[in-house]
Amino acid sequence: MVVFVLENVSPSLRGEMSRWLFEIKAGVFTGRISALVRDELWKYISEKVGNGSAILIYSTNNEQGFSARMLGSPSRTLEDIEGILLAKT
Amino acid sequence: MTTLRTLPKIRDSISFLYFDRCKVEQESKAIAIFTKQDKYVIPCASLSTLLLGPGTRITHAAIKTLAENACEVQWVGEDGFRFYSSGRSSSTSVQRLYHQAQTWANPQQRLTIVRKMYQFRFQEELSDQLTLQQIRGLEGVRVRTAYSRLSKATGVEWKGRNYKQDDWFDADPINRALSSANSYLYALCQAAVVSVGYSPALGFIHIGKPLSFIYDIADLYKAETSIPAAFEAVASAREASGMTVRQKCREKFSNYRLMQRIIQDVDKVLGYMSGDTEIPAVSFLWDDQVDWVEGGQDWAEET
Repeated sequence: MVVFVLENVSPSLRGEMSRWLFEIKAGVFTGRISALVRDELWKYISEKVGNGSAILIYSTNNEQGFSARMLGSPSRTLEDIEGILLAKT
Repeated sequence: MTTLRTLPKIRDSISFLYFDRCKVEQESKAIAIFTKQDKYVIPCASLSTLLLGPGTRITHAAIKTLAENACEVQWVGEDGFRFYSSGRSSSTSVQRLYHQAQTWANPQQRLTIVRKMYQFRFQEELSDQLTLQQIRGLEGVRVRTAYSRLSKATGVEWKGRNYKQDDWFDADPINRALSSANSYLYALCQAAVVSVGYSPALGFIHIGKPLSFIYDIADLYKAETSIPAAFEAVASAREASGMTVRQKCREKFSNYRLMQRIIQDVDKVLGYMSGDTEIPAVSFLWDDQVDWVEGGQDWAEET
């Protein structure tokens, strides 16, 4: 499962996202897509994010069971501490 | 949010987190770690053990929150050696402890458990004809083979295990990495075993140390987790830092599904059947004739 949270991005980017995923709340997209599609979408977002910000959270086979990526300048960032993601402020 | 079902908790938890040179405080019902520049919020309820290295300070409130969430706190040295560890048992049941003590004190049952512990580490069935002494010999061979196999696979030179604690910096990098990796495994085993109520001291194979039982349990997993982690860490960087060793350990613990398996395995090896986990409302008093009587009341008139 993946969740994308987009903030302050263009309607066209959101439109592109909703082709693949279900927009459960404004800017919050979820669904089940392959790792390939997920990475392609992330690449696409990173080109189109502009002044906005983006977060990607996805299930993966690590100790925490998920991983995450961030773009833009969110108020908190994620840091990998010896293999565990922790929110840093 | 805290429930009595300890088993699922250990299974779902993150194995360990290590921090040094920081301040640990409670912050709005969670635990926050303050380093020089940054603040990290720690999911303490889903963390099995927090390892605090040199230069750490922790507040009273933080310890209380960590204890309430059954997160073990262990103070460790720079290379992972525990010099002090604390924490009450977060278990709410004494059933496992009674079972452990009973089987420990009965030589026949104890031998069965010791055999099961050795059997656990072997791929093939060990014959009942083998004496304990013979099994110990086989185990020695198995460990030596594991070391030389890993040495070959990773290209790390292996000249034998050197335990000497007093000349730490004289030991070669692989021996130092092994000691560190093992101590993280011990920390984890202790957190898991204590959390369901077993005593760390009542060891079956190992005896005479306050953590004998922990060494018993850790030995079940060394060949799959800490030993390969140490070899891989040294292979990736000749002077393997504590960080590399910890990263490799986490990888192994996670791949081997240690947190999911550890309590199940220990229960199985000890022949413990999980019984009624319900906690009696009052405590009981032992009685030599009827096993137990209810506590918390005045028995003066009985005499």
